[in-house]
Amino acid sequence: MTILEDPATGARRDEAGARRRVIGTSQLRKEDDRLLRGDGRFTDDVEPARVLYMAVARCPYPHARISHLDASAAAALPGVEHVLTPADVRRDTEPLTVLRPVPGAPKLPYYALAQDVATHEGQPVVSVVASSRHVAEDALELLDITYEPLPHVVDVLAALEPDAPVLHPSVLDSNLLAANSDGSGDPDARFAEADVVVEGRFRINRVTALPMETRGVVAEWRPGARELTVHCSSQVPHLIRKQLAETLRLGESEIRAVASDVGGGFGQKLGVFPEDVLACLHAIALRRPVKWSEDRAEHFRGSTHARESVHDYRIAADSTGRILAMTNVYATDIGGWNSPFGSAQLSSVVFNGPYKIDDGYTERRVTLTNKTPVGAYRGYGQPEVNFAYERLMDQLARRLDLDPVELRARNMVTPQDMPWRNPTGAVYDSGDYERCLRMAAEAVDWAGHRAAGRTPRADGRLVGIGFASFVERTGYASSRFLARRGSAFGAHESVTLRANRSGGIDAYTGVSTMGQSSETAFAQVVADVFGTDYEVVRVHAGDTATSPLNTGAFASRTMIAASGALRAAAGELAAKTRRIAAWQLDVAVDDVEIAGSVARVRADHARAVPLAAVYTTAITGQGMPPEEEPGLEATAHFEPSDAAYSFGTAAAQVSVDPETGEFDVERFVMVHDGGTVVNPTIVEGQVRGGLAQGFGAALSEELRYDADTGQLVNGSMVDYFVPTAADLPQVELLHTEVPSPVTPFGVRGVGEVGTIPPGAAVANAVCDALADHGIELTALPVTPEAIWSALAGRSAAREPELTPTPADLPDGGVEY
Amino acid sequence: MTSATTSATTGVETPAEVLVETVTTVNGREVRATVPARLHVADFLRQHLGLTGTHVGCEQGACGMCTVIVDGEAVKSCLMLACQLDGRNVRTVEDLAEGDELNALQQAFKEEHALQCGFCSPGFLMTATALAHQGYRPGREEIREEIAGVLCRCTGYDTVVTAIERWFAEHPQTAAPSAPDALPADTDTTATQG
Repeated sequence: MTILEDPATGARRDEAGARRRVIGTSQLRKEDDRLLRGDGRFTDDVEPARVLYMAVARCPYPHARISHLDASAAAALPGVEHVLTPADVRRDTEPLTVLRPVPGAPKLPYYALAQDVATHEGQPVVSVVASSRHVAEDALELLDITYEPLPHVVDVLAALEPDAPVLHPSVLDSNLLAANSDGSGDPDARFAEADVVVEGRFRINRVTALPMETRGVVAEWRPGARELTVHCSSQVPHLIRKQLAETLRLGESEIRAVASDVGGGFGQKLGVFPEDVLACLHAIALRRPVKWSEDRAEHFRGSTHARESVHDYRIAADSTGRILAMTNVYATDIGGWNSPFGSAQLSSVVFNGPYKIDDGYTERRVTLTNKTPVGAYRGYGQPEVNFAYERLMDQLARRLDLDPVELRARNMVTPQDMPWRNPTGAVYDSGDYERCLRMAAEAVDWAGHRAAGRTPRADGRLVGIGFASFVERTGYASSRFLARRGSAFGAHESVTLRANRSGGIDAYTGVSTMGQSSETAFAQVVADVFGTDYEVVRVHAGDTATSPLNTGAFASRTMIAASGALRAAAGELAAKTRRIAAWQLDVAVDDVEIAGSVARVRADHARAVPLAAVYTTAITGQGMPPEEEPGLEATAHFEPSDAAYSFGTAAAQVSVDPETGEFDVERFVMVHDGGTVVNPTIVEGQVRGGLAQGFGAALSEELRYDADTGQLVNGSMVDYFVPTAADLPQVELLHTEVPSPVTPFGVRGVGEVGTIPPGAAVANAVCDALADHGIELTALPVTPEAIWSALAGRSAAREPELTPTPADLPDGGVEY
Repeated sequence: MTSATTSATTGVETPAEVLVETVTTVNGREVRATVPARLHVADFLRQHLGLTGTHVGCEQGACGMCTVIVDGEAVKSCLMLACQLDGRNVRTVEDLAEGDELNALQQAFKEEHALQCGFCSPGFLMTATALAHQGYRPGREEIREEIAGVLCRCTGYDTVVTAIERWFAEHPQTAAPSAPDALPADTDTTATQG
């Protein structure tokens, strides 16, 4: 194990000190030049000849029956070419499919346009295509739609009450879409014998990923060729192809999905949205290209939101602080329907965090409300539970008068325990959790802080330090588990490598480019394994017409799965290259090595053939060894055996004004282990970027709905506060590097980890600073107002607890 | 000026899209265009001139994706109408590179990993370029404040600030008042914020 406290940027050498390693080096990114020159190709940059523009009319109510709809005036507006109504969509399509169903949930009818009843503000009702977006929006004004508002419910707990209006009465008799549970041991018995129990209700705010590029689609249909080309801003072009085929009643071979540059995804751009289907229907009807570019007002209401949930957590411990049991019963808001990737199930999978719990129980109640659907968002359930269990860990420490760092250390899964199976069946693969905790404590001088006591500063501010230890599931279990869960995707990645006559290697992947630097990292792995130069590897991303059928970029899984496919394909290509070169050099294959732009004899570097010549030999078939087939191309697939768990501890130092609740995050230390690092700069960038979104959700972001009107009240960029450059605290990053035993090269995912600890670390720091005031924060975001209210003793009325369901529930559908 | 167009498929004449003639300079080249009065500058650059490096993120002037330089000042081009460009000088991200080479600011962004998805990068690059017109070298905290009008969801900003800071440090002439597209002292720019 090596510790990279200051990740090296220089080249590495292998054990023999011979060959330059590319894995582990901070190569400059392949993606950057085009993006910096304004030459990226985002979906809205695609402008086919004779393209038309789509605009969408959306339900302005949280819940309404469409009692009358007349589109004739809109259709008659000059410049309008086509109008789609709910009946058209019902006739010409199947309902949208769900990629990641909630286990046990019935299918909810959901078409691209609302049929009869709309269940959330922003749900599409009519779409119009015209000669310009301006004209299309003019036409929306001419639609004659009568809505009959229906009773609505926007609060997740209220939606579960018996008197709540039911969103989908034809399928369900309540708003509980499904409930499921996981667990092990006998937590009830442990609670009964515990010396101390801490518990609390934790409310997690509704936020949204808010990629800077909104959604978009450009659809083009060639009827004679039966070819639908769909440019889209998606993390999963091959899944877009599958879903569109199902919805549009086409064969997959008739659809080409292309996601070239994607301006941020963060989990939101997973799967087909209604507007994708609508643009395709218009394009098919008109035989002309149709483009839809989402505006930001639509984005706030018509894309997906995330995180909103209410968790009732309990921890039982003995008097020494050893945790005996942990339970979480929670209601998670899925909005108006079961979106393609809804309900963040990782709240169940890692509900115990990094702590060794043998007796545990988690129960998830997926709840429908009249709000924008909830989809996947970076972290996918993990920030939510981290806030809850880490807040309770500090409360437990205070109850037992223990040092919260020591309490955490005492309960963490140890390197000797692993591989260790948690109560939901997740297998923690490897790592030294306590070391990260100790590094964080040392970095913020926790010992000095404890010794100093809580003397206010001269200006009256109180200083507090808080910790949040975490695990992050990266990747997921193999497809044999998925098969039991109804997921419409696999667990593998696939890649094709093809040598070209210029001496380069083209790599083809269905993983689209959305900022995660996969073009760079893929090229590094190919160059490293093959032995050629990083510069001559070119990655072609996100086109289903050229790439092998893969899974996609989500769940921090890309490198975990793709690195195996890249290694296998590069190995196969290198072996054939060396066989051809050995024939040409008249030496044994084992005597040939690939180095940079040549294949050469190991013992005599002067005897070499250019790789371009070897490739040309293979491509023309002229001068090949007698037993070799022509061609130099390899496709490989790889499925990791299990998920890899990243881990770490964050520490925040805050100063709080105890009069007003105003506070500053003065320091934030993140100690993180992402396993073997392919590119240190990129990994650091992923962690920092995740932290920025984590700080947003922890401190300033919250989508608020008015209970009376059911309206989203802050659905715009000027009302929803994502952090700016002036808002974020300085972040100090420290790394450990424990290779995972379950992945190629020992990599762990790094994409989502930063979103997890900010809320808990900051809240714990505030509560530490204000420990003499006895406040315990239980909701996100953490704001001065929330602190002031807590200080003033203004808390909400006590609500009934969510208690475990006595009957057996279906298990949680957890992918271990 | 008003005009009319004809729909290709319906043959129906569209009414009264108000059109305006505009003469402007974009990236050093004179552009004569007849544009709908309601067309904003970002759409004009993207749809009429094919300069798709200027992005659209909110059309409320809040996110900064569409930031370009008009008469030396950073402007959110979604808040300005194309017809207001008449007689003005526009610079977009496509004008920054020097031939096939990234300019020093772009190179600093690349080397500092100041971009991930890259959708916001043109906004930061044009904001920083305009910042240099102020004629002095800003400190790190000042850079943070100055670029706060451009949002980024990927990087956490730290590397963006570092790249801009490094550019100012390594290229002190960028902050000289005589930068190529700096303003004549008597030009009034107060009206450029559409």
